[in-house]
Amino acid sequence: MIQSTRSAWRPERAEHRFGWSLGALVFILMVTLPWYADAYTITTYTRSIYFGFLALSVALLLGQGGMISLTQTIFFGMTGYVIGLLGAERGIAFPWPELAGLLLVVVVAFLFALVLMRTYGLVFLMLSLALGQIGWSFARQNTSLLHGWAGMRGIKPPELFGLDLSVSSHFYWLSLAVFCGALWVLWRIVESRFGLVIRGIRENPRRMSALGYHVFWQRVAIFVVAALFAAVGGILAAWSSGIVTPSTLHLNRMIWVLLVVILGGARYFWGPVLGTVIAVWLDVVISQLTPRYNTVIGIIFVLVILMAPNGLLGLWDSLQARRRRNRPPGSAL
Amino acid sequence: MIIMLNGLTQGALFFILGSGLTLAFGVMRIVNMSHGAFYLLGGYLGFSVLQHTGSWTLAVLAGGGFVALLGLLLERGLLERIQAGGDLSQTLLTIAFSMIIADLCLATWGGHPLSIRAPAALSSPVRLFGFLYPGFRFVLMLTAVVIAFGLWFLLFRTRLGMAVRASVDDRETVSALGIRIDTIYSLMFMLSAFLGGVAGVLGGSYLQLSPGEDITILTYSLVVVIVGGLGSLLGTLISALVLGQILSFSLAFVPEMSMFLVFAPMALMLAIRPQGLFGRRF
Repeated sequence: MIQSTRSAWRPERAEHRFGWSLGALVFILMVTLPWYADAYTITTYTRSIYFGFLALSVALLLGQGGMISLTQTIFFGMTGYVIGLLGAERGIAFPWPELAGLLLVVVVAFLFALVLMRTYGLVFLMLSLALGQIGWSFARQNTSLLHGWAGMRGIKPPELFGLDLSVSSHFYWLSLAVFCGALWVLWRIVESRFGLVIRGIRENPRRMSALGYHVFWQRVAIFVVAALFAAVGGILAAWSSGIVTPSTLHLNRMIWVLLVVILGGARYFWGPVLGTVIAVWLDVVISQLTPRYNTVIGIIFVLVILMAPNGLLGLWDSLQARRRRNRPPGSAL
Repeated sequence: MIIMLNGLTQGALFFILGSGLTLAFGVMRIVNMSHGAFYLLGGYLGFSVLQHTGSWTLAVLAGGGFVALLGLLLERGLLERIQAGGDLSQTLLTIAFSMIIADLCLATWGGHPLSIRAPAALSSPVRLFGFLYPGFRFVLMLTAVVIAFGLWFLLFRTRLGMAVRASVDDRETVSALGIRIDTIYSLMFMLSAFLGGVAGVLGGSYLQLSPGEDITILTYSLVVVIVGGLGSLLGTLISALVLGQILSFSLAFVPEMSMFLVFAPMALMLAIRPQGLFGRRF
């Protein structure tokens, strides 16, 4: 049972080489982007990257753990708020506000997980919605510390390794590097024994528990790890945009991320990445065409759920499978 | 005293909302995330109907009725198609649906908060124990009592209710007995949506309707339903009353903490009894 859940992550051999060369090409195109693209494209890709972290976080929980958590934007915004409070307002130097933010995320995620992980499925979803709303309404109602609607302003990226990060191409490279690092970490997690256990819990928690795994604590652990992914993205987002407001944490943003992940294919490693890139560009296009942005997004969401529940990568996979079936037996590849 | 009455009003509204949500869940195992959007749409429609016809009763019925039809459309047109996808994809679909409704409401009625004017006969202040209290709030409480009794009667004293309760326990057997389970699903979902729409008109007559309210309302209703136990009418009633009081008292004394104090009992409840007051494990 657990073996079969692994297969989606292992491309078959014939596609393997194709996949690697495609990956290398995309990677080269991404690294060299600032040399051939205009500033607007660069900032759009930077946005893809930090929202990509959020998507990875959601995908880790949804694709691997089978949990739909609506709290991830809270962790995304939380680091931004801490950086704003300590860095921009109190003037504390670079690594400390960021580290404090990450630490706070770990603590809060742990506390959330203690409550959330008692539940599964729909109750989990609803509970996470409620917890997310607590976070959002706290940021909105608290005027003394977090400035209510206005949020935090004036966050600046630090100078790192002699790179001036206010230059958009420098910031882009930094984000890309951090993102690649995060992808590598994610790959290690997914391929590890821990990842296997999480997928096992997704399929059958009772059985995993009978096999002697501490289902509750394993789920708590994956939740904290996922929160950290969102938190790192939140640091990049705060540096890049300079502001954090309650709308950073809003449910609409969370639903957007969920759509992104499902659009790409939650169970595929590259699903959230693909989904984010498409969705960020889709955002740009839709907002130019119509003010009814949410309606269009909602319709796309409905269509994806109805027609491609495993996302674009799932659709691609099933098309491949159909082509293979239609091929007459004995013909060469 | 006033604070308690406010809490009771709030609790009544919570009950109307929560009962709709819990009804749909109990029968169909769907958490309808567009319940908040149903509330908002029902309220806005009621507002427009009241403006054109001047009849508040008609506004309530139209708000509820139209939303019920929309619910039927959602259930028959979309949810039924992805039954194989399981509860989660159905729930996700209702989230998407809710986004569309909320956005179209914003397009139609704009971003300014609107308030429905209840008829003078219902809203004149009532003197009670030496206090003056808006009469409309008593109407709201009374409506909640009527709805509670009506639902109880429908579910526990009619043949239809018997079929509904049986299909909660074992849908295969019920449909094997020749009862049209699809029809029951549609009816219950429509009833649930109707309650959402009616709650919107009632809520819009005592609070305000504005964009974003759908999510706030959805959150409150979910809390009510989770605390009460999914699928349980009695649990919804009790938790709605308790949460109404908590919200009212915290708004009066510690407004910055009001959201916290509403969610705290839920977290506590789930820590002790994950299935809620009267829920069972699913």
